[in-house]
Amino acid sequence: MIGLQHIGVVYGQRRILNDISADLKEGCITAVMGPNGCGKTTLLRCIGGLLEPTEGQVLVEGQAVQSYGARALARKVAFVRQHQQTDFDFSAFETVLMGRNPYQHRLQNESQEDWDIVERCMRQTGTWELRLAKPAEMSGGELQRVMIARALAQQTPVLLMDEPVSNLDIAHQRDIMRLLRDSEGKTTLIVIHDLNLALRFCDDLLLLHEGGLLYHGPIADGLTPENIRRVYGVDAHMAEGRILFDY
Amino acid sequence: MKKNHANPWVIVGLSLLLVVAMAGSCLLGAVDFSLQEIWHSPIFWRMRLPRVVMSVLVGAVLSVCGAAYQSIFRNPLTDPYVLGVSSGASLGAAVAILLGLEAFLWGVGGMALAAALLTVVFIYRISSIGNRMHTTTLLLTGVCLTLLISALISFLMVMNQEKMDTIIFWTMGSFGSASWTDVAVLAPVAVLGIGVVLWYGRDLNLLLAGSEAARSMGVEVEKVKRVLLLFTTLMVAFAVSSCGVIGFVGLIVPHAVRLLAGPDNRKVVPYAMLCGALFVLVCDTLARYMLRPSELPVGSITSIVGAPLFIYLLYKNKKGY
Repeated sequence: MIGLQHIGVVYGQRRILNDISADLKEGCITAVMGPNGCGKTTLLRCIGGLLEPTEGQVLVEGQAVQSYGARALARKVAFVRQHQQTDFDFSAFETVLMGRNPYQHRLQNESQEDWDIVERCMRQTGTWELRLAKPAEMSGGELQRVMIARALAQQTPVLLMDEPVSNLDIAHQRDIMRLLRDSEGKTTLIVIHDLNLALRFCDDLLLLHEGGLLYHGPIADGLTPENIRRVYGVDAHMAEGRILFDY
Repeated sequence: MKKNHANPWVIVGLSLLLVVAMAGSCLLGAVDFSLQEIWHSPIFWRMRLPRVVMSVLVGAVLSVCGAAYQSIFRNPLTDPYVLGVSSGASLGAAVAILLGLEAFLWGVGGMALAAALLTVVFIYRISSIGNRMHTTTLLLTGVCLTLLISALISFLMVMNQEKMDTIIFWTMGSFGSASWTDVAVLAPVAVLGIGVVLWYGRDLNLLLAGSEAARSMGVEVEKVKRVLLLFTTLMVAFAVSSCGVIGFVGLIVPHAVRLLAGPDNRKVVPYAMLCGALFVLVCDTLARYMLRPSELPVGSITSIVGAPLFIYLLYKNKKGY
């Protein structure tokens, strides 16, 4: 589904990613983990076609990401970004409706189907009640869920999410993670810092360490005390299937 | 829920209002006509009508370009002159006036147009990195060059005090010398350019979400920006070189429309086009009628009429805009 072939990224003098290769299975939720600044967002931007890697290439459904046109790619890959930009006053509904752009012709009004899809995505993310709210009237977590709804409205087989749950309370974290787990057939890459949440809801793990790929495989086998110590420098142990930290 | 495209009834209503205002404006002026006389009057055919048409065209162009720039740069303070088009044009006009090119048809306008385009090309060159346009650099270069050029113009004026009045009058903007030639030059550019901006209405909305977000929702960001900047710049350059710098319109009309109709550019662009046309037409009519037979600069009227109106709208819509 997604093929990473020897991805390397260099910004100026600084190497961010080095020789990342992996095949991500269709329909799996893969957690992308690693300490701050290890290149998680950079990797997601490469997969989303927003950044051309210095070395290697990304394949989505067997085709190089850079060879897709913007519209075609937007039907394959949706991206929930870490920082949301909200300068002008579009309502939550109008914002989610933008996610239908890759399916719409110019000068044409949104179809009934578009409206139905938007309503469904907003109900799934618990944002339907906020549909008339403007960005200034929403909390960080509410805005985050609106952006997740917008990405879902793109109806793509691939979903990239950069810390989508970091602004959410525990109930909404659970709801969003359940929603991702229950969306069958979607290949999801999610940058996430909560190890236990990842362990509970994700299938696979891409663990980055100093720009390289330290581990790719089932998450239960990858989030070991040894790997955690090596990557984060924090001691941890497992108890009743949960990771506990020894601060 | 409401539809996101422009409401055809609003378009029809504003268009009718514009036609009525144009007719009314043609009747008003230093010389009074009856309806029968006007049809046979050269003043009507050669002076008032082209002037009315020009003010409508320029108002539409400035408002549409303002709306587009504010979305492209994601900055509510941008106006059509921010890239240095107006200062370039003013310098060109000042030089043309000093060289005595006023005697030639389009001598001042042509020089202003050339200088405006040259300025913008220079600014684009500086702010392009590879094949990408860096919008913050673009804005900063524009502001910087504008300051430099206005210093140059001041210098030219002080050195040539006898022509100072002509230069100042040109830079304040006026439709006093509008002719059918001006209309014939501006109209095709305006129609084409406004058409392009309307065509990219939805993309402008998505650009407001940020370049990367727009790209991941299917907008060819660099291409769209390039095409839009090309056509808007051309429109503004042609408008400025024919009638001078008319401030306020391109900044405020799009905002006023947004306050009333929401931020969707598929509504903002067509409504701003009609409202801007109407606004400049009314202001120019006031400019030439209030102290007839002498004239006020239209730029000062746009500010005197527009600023209180806009502050009232802001006050009425107090929502932390």
